[in-house]
Amino acid sequence: MSKVLEIRNLTHTYSGNSTTKRDAVSNITFSVDGGEILGIIGHTGSGKSTLVQHLNGLLKPTKGTVLFEEKDIWLEPKKIRHIRSKVGLVFQYPEYQLFEETVYMDIAYGPKNMGLSGDELRVRVEEICKLLGIDEDYFEKSPFDLSGGEKRRVAIAGVMAMRPKVLILDEPIAGLDPKGRADVIKMIESYNKAYNATVIIISHNMEDMAVLADKLIVMNKGALAMFGKTDEVFLKADLLRQIGLNVPIVTRVMAALKKKGIDVPDNIFTVDDAVKCLCSIKKGGGKDA
Amino acid sequence: MDSIIELKNVTFEYDDNDIKNTVISNFNLEIERGSFTVILGHNGSGKSTLAKLFNGLNKPSAGEVFVDGISTLDEDNEIEIKRRVGMVFQNPDNQLIASVVEEDVAFGPENLGLRPDVIRQRVDEALKAVEMYEFRTAAPHHLSGGQKQRVAIAGIIAMKPECIVLDEPTAMLDPKGRAEIVSTLHKLNKENGITVVLITHFMEEAEKADRVIVMNDGKIITDDIPKIVFSNVKKLKSVGLDVPQTTELLYSLKNNGFDIKTDVISIEEAADEIYNALHLEEK
Repeated sequence: MSKVLEIRNLTHTYSGNSTTKRDAVSNITFSVDGGEILGIIGHTGSGKSTLVQHLNGLLKPTKGTVLFEEKDIWLEPKKIRHIRSKVGLVFQYPEYQLFEETVYMDIAYGPKNMGLSGDELRVRVEEICKLLGIDEDYFEKSPFDLSGGEKRRVAIAGVMAMRPKVLILDEPIAGLDPKGRADVIKMIESYNKAYNATVIIISHNMEDMAVLADKLIVMNKGALAMFGKTDEVFLKADLLRQIGLNVPIVTRVMAALKKKGIDVPDNIFTVDDAVKCLCSIKKGGGKDA
Repeated sequence: MDSIIELKNVTFEYDDNDIKNTVISNFNLEIERGSFTVILGHNGSGKSTLAKLFNGLNKPSAGEVFVDGISTLDEDNEIEIKRRVGMVFQNPDNQLIASVVEEDVAFGPENLGLRPDVIRQRVDEALKAVEMYEFRTAAPHHLSGGQKQRVAIAGIIAMKPECIVLDEPTAMLDPKGRAEIVSTLHKLNKENGITVVLITHFMEEAEKADRVIVMNDGKIITDDIPKIVFSNVKKLKSVGLDVPQTTELLYSLKNNGFDIKTDVISIEEAADEIYNALHLEEK
């Protein structure tokens, strides 16, 4: 797998006078491969949103470099807009940014700005809606008549319709009910699989991250505290708790079982894995081995 | 029941381009004084409409809402009602107005026309109750999300309310912030006797509540203690809700042939159940 995005020694200092000047993110280095799902977790104010806004050139690093397909995105500052159709960013609460008269027009807005028109544009919108399960009956509706969860899905579809190679989502499931959360997660998985796209997700939901993410970045006070495979990161429960995070609930249940003397492995992070593990212990006669 | 809030045959509808939308109709509910109630329901199930009826932000189209016996339709008592039932919303940044924490908390009591020394005392007490006293001179924008939300709660506490209604107060918080809010609410409920009504999408926040109400299509479909509500996994999933991950695990194990109870929620209890089920096998 080749690196799609590479971040080297990125620092962003918010300007101000000598007392208010501070590093929002400092000396961050990581890379993400094609087709990978990368999760970013961290307490509020840890620099997660500031970090991802550098990945499509919305913010310019104070120090360090951002490379997209091995090329510095700021090499030609006048062409920075091109990067935004290749690295798509879905902001927090994207449904507040819906503004067109119809759902179709809202989803078509991004690809239209990229220069698509006529049949090409129509096919592009229809294709993404088909993939995401947005029915054509919705096309002529006003986005403002949709439920909160539906609005969120339309707003995300609008960014996906530009078919970015890297899709970044800043807390895409915050404020949704469980059904809405499941719908959005399914959308993200579909997009990742259909186009072998790289996905970067900021989330506070450890349970969902355990299921979705191949790798995790843990941010703490503007610095990169951990970067590794999801399993490896969740093994460090104590460190996560120290910085205000936690491991999935099911992992905590398994830890409590271990304390009671049942010999369960430490690397159980999803309900499915826990059930498999406990069933095999039960078949073994309930022995503690 | 000694109820702090009572809804009697309440209907709430709003006009949308001359089309009447009925959110709830002929609705009856009592919230017991001193209780801790969690309201669950998918987006659009009528939870927030209900919350705003509790302190007169929404007025019923038919029927009546009583707060401490006072009807919310009685405009002369609007201030009395808002003082008795305080509301906290999702986004802490939209609720804090002053540039210093203690000034923000003082805003409500100042509007009640209290004496400065009484205001001072109330602000200090409120900040101590939410464990934010040491941040009293900080600027709100320097606080974490959970801390800001606790300041918003202190602003309500300083009004000495009978009841606090919170509409998804943890939706934008990290896990630590969420835990801080939930434990603050339980403390206020136990130690200060404040009635708490918490609307949330996080099932595990309902674990220690006295009562869980599940809303769907403007109606109450379940109203019971948490254990019983969450043991009905199928019913909750059918209305777009989930169960805490502990319940999910126990339920899956049961489907895989474990002789196990599914009506526990806490991590410790879940581990106990699994431990016992594994040891029963041995015998």
